Formats: sequence, structure tokens, C-alpha cells
Amino acid sequence: MQTDLPLLLDARALMRDITPSVRVADISLQLRQGDVLGLLGLNGAGKSTTLKMLAGLLVPDNGHINIHGQSLSEQPNFARAQLGYLPDTPPLYPDMKVTAYLKLAAQLRRVPKKQLRTSIDYALTVCDLNNVASSRISSLSKGFRQRVGLAQAIVHRPKLILLDEPNNGLDPHQMHSMRRLIKTLGEEAAVIFSTHLLPEAVAVCNQIAVMHQGRIVAREYAADHGSNDAEPAQAHSAPAMFNRDELDTLFANLVQYGTPKAPLHPADNNAVSPYPNSNSNTRDTLDA
Amino acid sequence: MIGIIAKHEGISLLRLPITWIIAALLSWVFAFLFLQQVEVYLERQAELALLDHPPGLTAWLTTRFIAPASIITLLLGPLFSMRSFSDEYRLDTLALWQSSPVGTTALVLGKFLGVTAVLCATLSVTLVMFIGLSFLGTVDWLQVTAALSGLYLLAAACTATGLFFSSLTRHAMVAVLASLATLALVWLIGTASFTAIPIPGFQAASLASHIGGFHQGYVATNDVLYFVLYIALFLALTIIRLDALRHVNR
Repeated sequence: MQTDLPLLLDARALMRDITPSVRVADISLQLRQGDVLGLLGLNGAGKSTTLKMLAGLLVPDNGHINIHGQSLSEQPNFARAQLGYLPDTPPLYPDMKVTAYLKLAAQLRRVPKKQLRTSIDYALTVCDLNNVASSRISSLSKGFRQRVGLAQAIVHRPKLILLDEPNNGLDPHQMHSMRRLIKTLGEEAAVIFSTHLLPEAVAVCNQIAVMHQGRIVAREYAADHGSNDAEPAQAHSAPAMFNRDELDTLFANLVQYGTPKAPLHPADNNAVSPYPNSNSNTRDTLDA
Repeated sequence: MIGIIAKHEGISLLRLPITWIIAALLSWVFAFLFLQQVEVYLERQAELALLDHPPGLTAWLTTRFIAPASIITLLLGPLFSMRSFSDEYRLDTLALWQSSPVGTTALVLGKFLGVTAVLCATLSVTLVMFIGLSFLGTVDWLQVTAALSGLYLLAAACTATGLFFSSLTRHAMVAVLASLATLALVWLIGTASFTAIPIPGFQAASLASHIGGFHQGYVATNDVLYFVLYIALFLALTIIRLDALRHVNR
């Protein structure tokens, strides 16, 4: 990553108990402009909880979060003004029209009155919503609703964009559109999006963090990102370690055995996971 | 920011058909009560003239028309505020507010002001009736102002109660029932005579014992203070409840 750019997200040692036996822990993320991080993991891995902590919906039990230099706990309103968040269920009012809804979202994010029109037009254009701008949200399809949800997250041009499974329920064409959209957004801001689909993360992101049982068990950086589109990749000072085979193996193990590493005896599906283990190779990758 | 939230809440409420149905029914009920009391006053005018200090038409109406309107307001407050937070939970829209640079206090105050404004506008049909009456006779506007001030304060108190219970559940009907039970308790607590166990605090804590003065045309500081504290208590509880959500896994 380019270290001369300011840190847009600096989250360190986040920890949060979900249930007495499940805990999201040791989450540290530093992102700059142009970073698109895919938070990859199976259901229940802690992706949504992590995003909720970053968005200020949940208070971490431990650790701290700075968004563009503002502490989320000490100056929550300043910090939240810099972020856009799309939860797994888009926060939409069905009886509102798209434009009115985006106006409300922009006002809540303190967009100056004179810039409201420009901001709404920007969100409508980027999310390709101009044709449904005057429609009621209740009349829109699932794909369009997802886009409206995304539009509310970017209407104020935030520095940090958090997207919780934005591809949920989308058809392949819509997923492709969403993929291009996230890439576009990643040019101006830092983006984190969660998914349980490895191909999605690989196609869109220039960083991937694999979560398992509340912890980041692997972190991979791509030196050459965006091969599907004409947009140039962001330069990264970190060595190119985007290893698709390694990710495929790791994720396949997660799916098949429930652990990032295959058990010594594959028949023993209940083998205890070696993670988190700060001495493992994947953790070395994370700390690199 | 509070103004933006209040406007959004008010418009959301006005977008619901149920709001207009309630407003229409309320106008009909209030018109019936108003005309009934005017007629009773006219019928008993000769009898009233024999009294040392006979009540004027305004005094008659504020005690016999606005007072029943207050009881109806106890029902309206929860009905108007039941969706405020329950709908946010049901539609999963609370994330929009919680991830925005909007403080919980601003959110609660905005919603409170939005609902209270619509409720007070609905109750203002009573003012229209007094304005109509002023074309036919003399109206003591100070007494009307005092009575309506009490009505509006009661509406605000009922809204605050409804808002709090709305923040506790995603089921609007549960919020209504809990609010009505609470308001009925706080209203009746002062009217019951606890002769066996006299507890003077009950009287002071009752809504009913603080609204009577307004109906009679005088605004006592302690009554106003009671309503302000009552409203502040329930708004504070709502803020605490919403802040606590950031510590609860959802």
C-alpha cells in the first residue's frame, strides 16, 4: 500500500464478545485510499460484527478505531461523517421515493444544503439509479433496492465505505454491476466489503482478509488487481503475495473441514483448529 | 439536525392512512362533544344565572369539553408514537441513523418533536372550534390558551411515553398496550383514594392532578414543571435504551 497516503481506517486490536463462547478478537485493519479489502469468511465468522464495530453500531469491548484521524469513540460524529455503511439488509423506507430517501441520507451526513442536489445526482449516477429516481422504494426490485442502499452509503462521498454482503440476493448480471461499482468506489475511498464468495473477493479486492471463528486467519495482498477491467491497479509497496491457489486451498478447507488448515487425518472433521496461531505462516502473512 | 429528523418523522406519520383516519374520527368526536356542551350550556343558562359566580361559556367548555379531550389524548399519544422506533427495528433502518453523524439525543428529540407536532396539529381542531365560536360570542382567549397549553403538554407527555415503549420492542402493538397501561396507571394513581394507606406522593405523581389547573384557566409553575420532568424522564430513558443497543449483539 502507498504509505504516503493518509490512513483512512486505523482499527487496532478490536475485540467483542458475541456470546460467552464466541468472540471476535484481534482485529487490526489499516486502510488507505484505493484499498479495497474483502472480508471473507463463512457464515458466523464474525464479518458482520466486525463491520458493525467499524460503523459504530457496536462498541468494541477492547481496541480503538480511527477513521480519517478521528476517533470513533471520542469524536463519533466527526468519525461517522467520514464513513458510509451498507448493512446486510439495506436500511430503506419502502414508502419513500428514491430521491427523497437519498436527500434524507445526505442531510443526515451533514452535506451542505447547496451541495445536496449535486450529491444526490452523484449517487444516482454512480449507482445507475437515474431511471428510478422518482420511484417509490417499495416498487423496486431486489437489485435496485440494494443499489439504493449503496447510494445512501456513498451520497456524501465518504472516505471509508463498509459494505456487508452487498451481493446478497443479486443475479449474476447485478453482481457484475456491483463488482464494477465497488471498484469505482475504491478509486476515491477505502472500501471493505464482506462476502462468503471467494471469487467475488478475488475479482474485486486488492486485499483479502479471511475470517474464521472471529479472527483474521489469513491476509493476502494483490499486486496486480483489476485484471477484468481496464482500470489500472493500485500500487502496493507490500510484496505481491496474492496467491489464488493458497486462498483456494484455505477456503476449501474452511468449507470442507470448518478450519483453515486441513486436519492431519481428513476423516476427523472435528479436529481442533490450529488458529489463531501467531507463529503460523498465514499469520506471518497477516503481519507482513 | 433535530429539525431534519423531526420533519422526516412528521412526514412519515402523515404518509400513513391511519393518521388521517384518526384525525377524521377525532374531528367528528370533538365536534360532537363541543356542540353537545354548547347546547347543555344554553339549556342551563337560566339555572346558571342564579349562581353567585356563574361560569361563562369559555369556562364551561374548557372544563367540560377540553377535559374529555384530555382522556382521548391519552389514547392518541401512544397510537401516534408506536411506530417511531418499532418500525426502525422492523425495517432494519436503525443502522442508517446509528452510522450517521447523529447523536442519540438528537435522534430522540427529533422524533419526539415530529410526533408531538403532528399530534398537536390534530388536537388543534379544538382551537378551530373556539375560533368558530368567537364569531357568535365572546371567547376568553386566555382561558382557552391555558386549557390548550395543558392539552398540548399532555400530548407531549403521552408521546414521550409512547416513544420509550416503542424503543423497547419491534412490535408496535405491544408498544401501544404498554404505553396505555403506563399512562392509565399514572393517570389513575392520583384519583384513587388511599384512605387506608395515605401516600401523598401518589397525588403529586399523577397526570390527572396536574392537568386540572389548566382546564380551569390557570397555569401553575409546578404543573408545568411536572410535565417537563415527566417528558424529560421518558426521553432520557429512551436515549439510554438506544445507547444500550450499541452494547448488545444484534
